[in-house]
Amino acid sequence: MKNYRKLLFTCVILGVSVAIAAGVYGYHKEKTERKLSLIYIPKVVDGTNDFWTSLILGTQMAAKEYNAQIEIYAPKEENDIEGQISLLEEAIDKEPEAILISPSSFTETDELLEKAKKKGIHISFIDSYTQTSIQDITVATDNVEVGEQLGKYAASLLEPDDQIAVVAHVKGVSTAVEREEGFRKGLGDLEKNIVDVVYCDSRYDKSYELTMNLMKKYPDLKMVAGLNEYSSVGAARAVKAAGVKDEIKVVGVDSSQEAVQLLENGVFQGLVVQKAFKMGYLGVRETIAMLRGESYDKNVNSGCQLVTRENMYDGEIEKLIFPFNTLKNIETIRNQDG
Amino acid sequence: MKKITTAKLFGQFKSIQSAIFAAVSVLLLSAVLIITGISMRYTKKSIFDNSSMYTQNIIRQMNQNIDSYIAYMENIAYMISSNEDVQDYLFGDEDNANARGRLLKQFETILESRSDIRNLGIIGINGRKLINDGKKSMNPDLRLDSQQWYLDALQKPEGPLLTSSHVQHIISGERPWVITLSRGIRNFSNGGEKEGVFFIDLNYSAISGLCDQNTIGTKGYAFILDEYGNIVYHPQQQQLYNELQTENIDLVMKSDSDTVLTGTGRKDKLYSISRSNKTGWTVVGCMIVEELLQKSYEAQRSYVLIAAVLMIVALLFSRQIARSFTYPIQRLRDSMKKVQEGNFSGADVEIESENEIGSLTRSFNVMTHRIQELMEQNVRDQEAKRKSELKALQSQINPHFLYNTLDSIIWMAEGKKNEEVVLMTASLARLLRQSISNEDEVVPVSQEVEYARGYLTIQKMRYKDKLEFEISVDPSILNIPLIKLVLQPVIENAIYHGLKYKESKGLLQVKGFMKDGNAVLQVIDNGVGMDEETLAHIYDRHKVNYHSNGVGVYNVQKRLQLYYGSEYGITYESKKGEGTTATITIPGIQGGKA
Repeated sequence: MKNYRKLLFTCVILGVSVAIAAGVYGYHKEKTERKLSLIYIPKVVDGTNDFWTSLILGTQMAAKEYNAQIEIYAPKEENDIEGQISLLEEAIDKEPEAILISPSSFTETDELLEKAKKKGIHISFIDSYTQTSIQDITVATDNVEVGEQLGKYAASLLEPDDQIAVVAHVKGVSTAVEREEGFRKGLGDLEKNIVDVVYCDSRYDKSYELTMNLMKKYPDLKMVAGLNEYSSVGAARAVKAAGVKDEIKVVGVDSSQEAVQLLENGVFQGLVVQKAFKMGYLGVRETIAMLRGESYDKNVNSGCQLVTRENMYDGEIEKLIFPFNTLKNIETIRNQDG
Repeated sequence: MKKITTAKLFGQFKSIQSAIFAAVSVLLLSAVLIITGISMRYTKKSIFDNSSMYTQNIIRQMNQNIDSYIAYMENIAYMISSNEDVQDYLFGDEDNANARGRLLKQFETILESRSDIRNLGIIGINGRKLINDGKKSMNPDLRLDSQQWYLDALQKPEGPLLTSSHVQHIISGERPWVITLSRGIRNFSNGGEKEGVFFIDLNYSAISGLCDQNTIGTKGYAFILDEYGNIVYHPQQQQLYNELQTENIDLVMKSDSDTVLTGTGRKDKLYSISRSNKTGWTVVGCMIVEELLQKSYEAQRSYVLIAAVLMIVALLFSRQIARSFTYPIQRLRDSMKKVQEGNFSGADVEIESENEIGSLTRSFNVMTHRIQELMEQNVRDQEAKRKSELKALQSQINPHFLYNTLDSIIWMAEGKKNEEVVLMTASLARLLRQSISNEDEVVPVSQEVEYARGYLTIQKMRYKDKLEFEISVDPSILNIPLIKLVLQPVIENAIYHGLKYKESKGLLQVKGFMKDGNAVLQVIDNGVGMDEETLAHIYDRHKVNYHSNGVGVYNVQKRLQLYYGSEYGITYESKKGEGTTATITIPGIQGGKA
């Protein structure tokens, strides 16, 4: 009896101490999160293209901040659909917790994305999307808004009868369709002045030539509007080369070093710039929130900003169009050819 | 009142040990709890204070570093802008190659020795410029009057000016993030008007490097605001601009104290502020409340652990104290219980200490020894008493019997009945010898039987016509020991109370046999018998004593029971007018006692 009580006493003391220790440690252990693995597949990684550079930087900063490992699998050229598909296959084989992708094709990646979903990989779309809504999250610029801002600004530069030509990037691509729609909306009454819409397939040279042709075809042309970086810069190059920057106003979408130079130079009147950093950052942040079971937004509009010659040196605009890297050790970007 | 409740409280415990244990542990535990509580409370405040003090030190150091860094750059600016070559080159004759060459050399030296300087140069409002090594092409599209650092240097009064972080557009194809230090250059040949600007672009990384040198906790960071509250440096500048992060800049700019807390939530921040008069910048050290709380949790966690350990120690300690108090008492109690049960062996309790309990124990030991001695004494006394009593009882031979017998002998001698005289005298002699000379308390049954025979012989001779006797004793019981003078008094009793009053001749039978392992001796007479009342009083001392020879039935019964135990002794059966049977039962085997 006595021994039994002694044993009980010892057991109680041991139990209490173990419980306290476990409780105290457990309470704090619980809080350390699991590191998530993510893969982002942009359309392109290109040192001259500030849009994608900023976007990728955004994804990396968010990943670092929210305790995730992110790998970037990037094609070397935009519109390299084959390349992107093979990178996607590679990414699916690695079975990350989520794949973030900016699909280059509206249709051709769906099958693979379906396969990824079946493997339990979450899909987030950044910047653009595909025909079937397979994604868990979409973070993109509202492209109608981009077009609308561009249209409104263009309208403010034009006389009622001035002719307008549109150089779009790829026919049928969601961004092109929506931006054109927004542009027309933003122009308001001036919409009827659009004389032509051409497609440059996201190539500077083609855009340049198309613009040259447009200028020949429409001698009274007063404005060329580009709908992405390639079409805008191509068009601006043509206008500059033709020496008609005072006659023909150029407005465009997205910025690059060259686009900024052309804006400074006065060829571009204005650019609507997407908030690429914010897009990438939010894409990762929301995806991580979803993976961790926290509340998240399924559809996020990352916003856009009109940049003109007048405001381009403002601190806030500078930070938007001249990305700087505050990430100390930028993680390696996996290119298509290794 | 209090006392009563305490007494009640501790009265509920079944043992003093648990009462002391409870009391001491309650005391110790509450002490531990109170101390832990106080330190936990104090921890949070002291961690907050220490952290903000620590951060204050760091950011002051940062500010000093920045100040001295900027001072160094200002020296360069002063050195160059007051250089005569600058005057010559900017405001003197066109194409002053000598001045240009010397300036370029100076620029080169500076650029080579300082990797943190991105660009430096002089610009005149007349369009003359000299930047870096003079080889890079200027950005043709840049309108200088759109650049704040340029305008301010020309328009604002004396002294170098420092921009916030911005993009330097001046060189074609390069748009680095820099901090620009600019200074107006006076044209002394034109009344000292500011007609030129000297500038140094400091790599953004130089400032961020200064800020990143020191860490403020694991999540904390430092950022710099310029005098207007614009961000010069922030580790998450991108996020801030994109509204993905917020920093309460208003609060910082308006705050008069060195430390300001944005709120009390976990996500809130503790700002430590240090302003520099030199640069006009504000360095802000930012700690996340959550991290500070985490720290205090960690400290508190160790307090809790220590408290837990202390509590366990306290419990063990109180148990030990309780035991040390009560163990001697318990031993005393156990020993008392033994004594109570009459077990004195090992009742001694070892004295462990010289306190009250020790003296109690000593007294107890003395007491038990004394009791033990007294009890042993008592046993010895009782034994002696019993023995002497037995002796006294045994030694009594009725003197009347002796006189009567002697009278009978005289009468017989007078009557010349020689043979009878001889027989009677011999019998009497044998009787006397047996009763007096034999020292032994116990004799074999045979001896008692012989004694009875001698007695009966004498009595028969006295009551010639009245008494006849028969003795038949089984030989198997003859050697069984029997205390002396048992049989004779019973026979005497039978003669005087039974046969004596009988009209006709009586018969007295003595029988001996084994029954159920006991030896049984029966004295049977066919005398007058006893009614039930007489039978009931047969053992009474007085009655028997009065009639009998003094060694009455009471005496015999008492001796038998004293010697053999209460289950043995004499029993009587009698019927009025028919006779009486006295049965003596003793143990059949008593070799050891024989």
